[in-house]
Amino acid sequence: MIQMEKNIVSFTNNTVTKELPIQINVENVNIFYGDNHAVKDVNLPIHEKSITALIGPSGCGKSTFIRTINRMNDLIPSARCEGMIGYKDVNILNPKVDVVQLRKEIGMVFQQPNPFPKSISENIQLPLRFAGVRNKKMLKETTEDCLKQVGLWDEVKDRLDRSATSLSGGQQQRLCIARALALKPNVILLDEPTSALDPVSSAKIEELLLELKNSYTIIIVTHNMQQAARIADYTAFFYQGELIEFGKTKTLFTNPEKKSTSDYISGRFG
Amino acid sequence: MNSKITNRIAISVIIACAVAMAAILISMLGYILVQGVSSISWKFLTTSASPFLAGGGIKDQLWNSFYVLIITMLLTVPIGVFGGIYLAEYAKPGKLTSFIRTCVEVLASLPSIVVGMFGMLVFVNYFGFKYSVFSGALALTVFNLPVIVRVTEDGFRSLSRHQKEGGLALGLTHWHTIKTILLPAAFPSILTGIILSAGRVFGESAALLFTAGLSTPDLDFGNWNPAAPNSPLNLFRSAETLSVHIWAVNTGGIMPDVQTIANGSAAVLVICVLLFNLFARMIGKIINQKFSGK
Repeated sequence: MIQMEKNIVSFTNNTVTKELPIQINVENVNIFYGDNHAVKDVNLPIHEKSITALIGPSGCGKSTFIRTINRMNDLIPSARCEGMIGYKDVNILNPKVDVVQLRKEIGMVFQQPNPFPKSISENIQLPLRFAGVRNKKMLKETTEDCLKQVGLWDEVKDRLDRSATSLSGGQQQRLCIARALALKPNVILLDEPTSALDPVSSAKIEELLLELKNSYTIIIVTHNMQQAARIADYTAFFYQGELIEFGKTKTLFTNPEKKSTSDYISGRFG
Repeated sequence: MNSKITNRIAISVIIACAVAMAAILISMLGYILVQGVSSISWKFLTTSASPFLAGGGIKDQLWNSFYVLIITMLLTVPIGVFGGIYLAEYAKPGKLTSFIRTCVEVLASLPSIVVGMFGMLVFVNYFGFKYSVFSGALALTVFNLPVIVRVTEDGFRSLSRHQKEGGLALGLTHWHTIKTILLPAAFPSILTGIILSAGRVFGESAALLFTAGLSTPDLDFGNWNPAAPNSPLNLFRSAETLSVHIWAVNTGGIMPDVQTIANGSAAVLVICVLLFNLFARMIGKIINQKFSGK
């Protein structure tokens, strides 16, 4: 089974050879929705300027976990988190943390592209202006810069004042990534960013992520094991709320330690 | 075969209902307009009503209707929109919130004559605002406010959760997300609600009988000082609105051309509501385009 899997999956982009410094350190994190223990005792290092993929079957807690890293779970009244997510010497889970500042440093892109129903340029400039950028020239330059980074500039430069909802799904998702980049975050969280997109758009986003990892730390939740194998340096396998296995992507896919990991990646469940 | 027949029957019933609805609307509008348009003239719109003689107009009543509408909207839209935002975005689910929501619903369904009596007791007598534009606007506020709260809350709730998450994930505060993303996105549905409720306020009579009064002082349209007793802008003068005028003329009018005045007033009322709708939609479209890009 594993042998077969190797033929499907290629590991062309997993270039990490030496261990990169740790940017986020997750220790004994437990997440509850009311009485439901959704994430159980997770310990995980997130390495700087690399892509970490979270994989696992639906309902395994991977989305819940990634949404905790920038405290998006605060929106759900019944959600409760325990443990420590260390970032820059603070525990992100501490209620005193300024979530607005935190989310500027740890950006997020969602499964469903969610551009604001405003013009393309306004989508990028609105958060910038809120962050205090008033200089018009700078706003314009950053807009151009971010759109170029996601490869959208040539496609939209003549219609920056058009509504962002007129873009295709793939373009919308790249705009959402550009919008997150505008704030110059350290970490970008992506919650199944390509699962609502067609294969061509997905490939473009994957390419983009490989480029972005030179400057940003990227954590991506994905349903798609091939995607994890193609782009991730590290992979974490979640199952029923537990982190079953974490390691370098190549090791995890070719030589998993746990039986359930090998069962999942060989397609026996999930 | 069977399901095909059911399908056809369902479609026929739905079409029949739609046709019946349109027919009722068109025949009523047509009747009112055909009866009334012939009595509308520039003179009819620009002369004051005459208590006994033929040839009276509706200038003051028309003005009063718009004035009461504007004051009511100034009172209800800000409070209603913020109340709706509170219920949709800030209120935590619980007993208090559902109690507030029930109150809003009950308030919205109060019979307007009851609101009128309440207005007379509280605003006219207790607070001593007398029969006035202000008392009338306050009474209308009582039943218009819950409508605005409701449409705002629904407008916000119908927005996708993703928009809110998108704003928050970009480091915007909750309020800034509401102000710059959610409110503009909910704007079209809130505007529709405001237009519909404005039509209702404009045509309301029962709630105004005992609050805004059945008479109007001799208005001097050259005097715009709100403190002057005969100024059109004075908030504390009595103000008979157009729909109250229709009722008053029909029930107790002693001028010889009662029928013409009533028909003409009704037609003007309907035309005003229609125009109001069209304008509000046009403005809404322009504003929405400004918010959302081309």
